[in-house]
Amino acid sequence: MCVGLSAKVVKVSKGTALVDASGARREVSSALLSDLEPGDYVMVHAGAAIAKISGSDEEEADSLMEEFLL
Amino acid sequence: MSAIDRARSVIEGYDGEEIRIMEVCGTHTHEIFRQGIRNILPENIHLISGPGCPVCVTPVSFIDEAVYLALEKDCTICTFGDLVRVPGSSKSLQTARGEGARIKVVYSPADAQAYAREHPQEQVVFLSVGFETTTPSSCIAVWSAKEEGLENFSLLTANKTMPAAYRAMMHTTDAYLYPGHVCAVVGTKDCTDMLAEGMSGVVCGFTGAEILTALAVIVKKHQEGEPFFVNCYPRVVKDEGSPEAVALVARTMESCDSRWRGIGDLPGSGMQLRKELADYDARIKYSIPKIDGRENKACRCGEVLQGRCTPEQCPVYGKACTPEHPVGACMVSSEGACSAWYLYGRSRGEKA
Amino acid sequence: MSLAGKTVTLAHGAGGRQTAELIREVFQKHFSNPYFTADDAAVLPVPEGRMAMTTDGFIVSPQFFNGGNIGKLSICGTVNDLACMGARPLYMTCSFVIEEGFPMDRLEEIVSSMEKAAAEAGVKIVAGDTKVAGKGQVDGLFITTTGVGQIADGVNTSGAHAENGDAILVTGDIGRHGCCILLERDEYGIEADVRSDCAVLWPAVSAVLEQVPEVHVIRDATRGGVGTVLHEIAAESGVGVLVDAESVPVEAAVSGVTGMLGLDPMYLACEGTLVMIVPDEKKEQVLEILRRQPHTEGAAQIGTITDQEKGRVVLRTQIGTQTYLPQPGNELLPRIC
Repeated sequence: MCVGLSAKVVKVSKGTALVDASGARREVSSALLSDLEPGDYVMVHAGAAIAKISGSDEEEADSLMEEFLL
Repeated sequence: MSAIDRARSVIEGYDGEEIRIMEVCGTHTHEIFRQGIRNILPENIHLISGPGCPVCVTPVSFIDEAVYLALEKDCTICTFGDLVRVPGSSKSLQTARGEGARIKVVYSPADAQAYAREHPQEQVVFLSVGFETTTPSSCIAVWSAKEEGLENFSLLTANKTMPAAYRAMMHTTDAYLYPGHVCAVVGTKDCTDMLAEGMSGVVCGFTGAEILTALAVIVKKHQEGEPFFVNCYPRVVKDEGSPEAVALVARTMESCDSRWRGIGDLPGSGMQLRKELADYDARIKYSIPKIDGRENKACRCGEVLQGRCTPEQCPVYGKACTPEHPVGACMVSSEGACSAWYLYGRSRGEKA
Repeated sequence: MSLAGKTVTLAHGAGGRQTAELIREVFQKHFSNPYFTADDAAVLPVPEGRMAMTTDGFIVSPQFFNGGNIGKLSICGTVNDLACMGARPLYMTCSFVIEEGFPMDRLEEIVSSMEKAAAEAGVKIVAGDTKVAGKGQVDGLFITTTGVGQIADGVNTSGAHAENGDAILVTGDIGRHGCCILLERDEYGIEADVRSDCAVLWPAVSAVLEQVPEVHVIRDATRGGVGTVLHEIAAESGVGVLVDAESVPVEAAVSGVTGMLGLDPMYLACEGTLVMIVPDEKKEQVLEILRRQPHTEGAAQIGTITDQEKGRVVLRTQIGTQTYLPQPGNELLPRIC
């Protein structure tokens, strides 16, 4: 229901942010996240940045495996 | 061994009692098929494709309302691409387009609002569907239209919230794969509330590695016998979600009863614009008459959504109902269970 | 004579003096060769052996895009179709339907691109036709091209010739033309530097066939993209197609754009990328030849032909599982919610 794509914040303006996903750039709303800064990674959905992203899916998978499966 | 291999060995090596896992989110359904994950599950792990595809659960009457606005009120309909082919009682938006309706596919509600600004001579209605993840974007567009004094932009709302659906479905499954991007917006409180009611689940991301890990965690925790909740998508989902988004939605919309295609009326599971924003509510603005949509009686989408039958047990699946000529919504949306089964060859019990 | 500021009018299509002027000032100027005819039909020497013949209509909006225009496309498309049959392109005809009011200098730019592409392919444009349609009857201009080519001795390619064990190659990264056009239409507010792959591929194909005439299948992955072509080959040859998802070359920006819109590059059109199916023992040689040729430097193996799952396309995913690549179907619509 909610296709998201991780993208890097390139520029922050009032209420919007320019994000870049592997060279594809788009202006998105930054209204849902306070204190966005260039260099942050965000999840983009339907024209809005909905969450900041910390780390990669591999790192996340590794630490979950350590925590629950060993 | 990589995390993916470890997760796979946990899943593929599972030989305990049956586990029913519902992937609530349609994007999960899509990715699970695309990543071939069903093909590695042992027989005692069942994945059920749940109600979290907005296209699938949006009632026929909503399409009828949109077609009415397009053809009778000469409105320009802006919509996500997902909705264009959904059959209404008599026609889809695609059919209406063939009859001269202006149907424009947009990437975001803000784009619909920008279109309205650039086309002041047209009455523009955005089809506001989606769950907690998508609703804030519609809210942003409404406030932005209000600030600009745009009078030719409104929403036809069918926004929904998940908790009522979690409760309606909890007896059909042992654990939820919670929708990661819903939780990214509203946080994990709905999930911990469900845990308090004895319902297990994990928040799950959308890459192959994330889905496999989340399934492996369910398999491990399920065997411990106690209800559990684990956030398996912490790089995106924080417990508190986005307080800004939650506050924005609260000042723009209020909850209402809502009909879920195939499931029925779930009290308090819908969102509509607050009274003070009635100018942006297409139902009020255009005095849309009450429309009772007619669903095709033979279609069993509702039961598919609840895991009560598989797509191939539906009498029209693969015959009258195919992705080219969908009868039910689960066949239209590429995130729908029926479409995924059909396209990925599950219909003949095949395994790639 | 300068064409700036002039437009095509209905009089240019009426067959009189202005038609003659249009042909002289625009078409003859660029298509000049000994066979280009003012008579009712071109008179040509008949080549020996087998010939291939094909025709294709081109409508693209917008007509000018990053990496080409409808003119270049109309030559590349037909030349590449001939190349897929192993045929050296010899002669082409082109038919224009032009909307009244189309700028004359843009028309010349289009025709000039056709001249360049034809020269690169070594094909001669020998006859043409121009019709002018009233405003609104066509979207700018439509071009139909027809080509004939001579098939080299010992070459016998067909979508039905894939065999168990063959290697599946692509001649470059996929989906760029479709992605480029999507961006040019600017419907989704996304910006990216994606250049159409639109290119003449006969020189590359010719280089391969000179040394490896036993290539089994060549097909250009135009409308419907590589995914559609693979389904066609699986069905026509009655074989299984196994594709390794990770080895399919996709330009980063194309991944970014398709990721945002929930689309799959496997179904996006290419206009300068072929699928080639060759005996396994020849694949290294073919790849080496391709990588030295213009427009095919990015050639790569993406899978193998099998005798399993006949008629199906199976994808080996990044996480090591296998799944079917769905049959392509409807209009490509972004998937958002």
